[in-house]
Amino acid sequence: MAVETDVLDELRRLRTRIPRLTGSLAATVDGLVLAHDAPDTEPEGLAALTAAALGVAHRMTDAAARGDFRELLVRGSGGYVATYAAGATAVLTLLAEDRVNVGRLHLEGRRSGARIADLVATHVEPGTGRHADRPAPAEHLAAAPTVTTRPIGTLPVRTPQRPTHQPRPQTGI
Amino acid sequence: MANTETALKECLSSIDGATAVALVDYTSGMALGTLGGTKDFNLEVAAAGNTDVVRAKLRTMELLGLKEEIEDILITLNSQYHLIRLLKGRGGSGLFLYLVLDGSRANLAMARHQLRRIENDLEV
Repeated sequence: MAVETDVLDELRRLRTRIPRLTGSLAATVDGLVLAHDAPDTEPEGLAALTAAALGVAHRMTDAAARGDFRELLVRGSGGYVATYAAGATAVLTLLAEDRVNVGRLHLEGRRSGARIADLVATHVEPGTGRHADRPAPAEHLAAAPTVTTRPIGTLPVRTPQRPTHQPRPQTGI
Repeated sequence: MANTETALKECLSSIDGATAVALVDYTSGMALGTLGGTKDFNLEVAAAGNTDVVRAKLRTMELLGLKEEIEDILITLNSQYHLIRLLKGRGGSGLFLYLVLDGSRANLAMARHQLRRIENDLEV
């Protein structure tokens, strides 16, 4: 069975476990939708924004020396957007109403993130699914330690890094 | 007047049979402070779960048209008592104290009395 279906089952289960949850989305760290259960939202846009926010969040934890990225909570006047790491390659984003039990949102979000990480790790086979164009899993498995040390969301991070390096030669002169 | 940390410490030290205590914000389900608890008894989980208990009771009272306030909620398990005491006034609204008591060592009447006293002294 495709990983997307299993992840979608997990998202549906989340909806029954967290009252006042309005939507959920699992995406890869580079912003591709894995599965979504979020009516009234555009999943592709949300996945892309999640990837961008993840890049910033990862730099924040890095700059503040707080270790690896775990979760990101954003609160608007109408509710919460919470993003949880699901292994090194996927993320889980949850949308909830303002009156949600944030404690429960965190508990279930963390658990679900870990479960999605397992699903993604066991289901992604060579030449299958959406990631057929990615390197074979033999490489993935061999590179497993480096994957964990490699920052999540490296791709969106690179763009803002360049300007910080450019002014240096000018000040040196 | 006692701050959160002192109040939680006093709960564990002055109430016989108290094994864990938490001050919880039931608008968010997050704990403002916890003391005691073990690996098997995660107070963060207890805070989130008991938030639902308090919310359910408040909602039920609203549906029944009861214009009263919850003073405390007692839950009796086989070997434990769980006591939930809602805070009143002084910016303490929306909070509750959650106390776990060992059933064999606790004196329930005394525990409720002590918890009321600690709640009155607590300044969040």
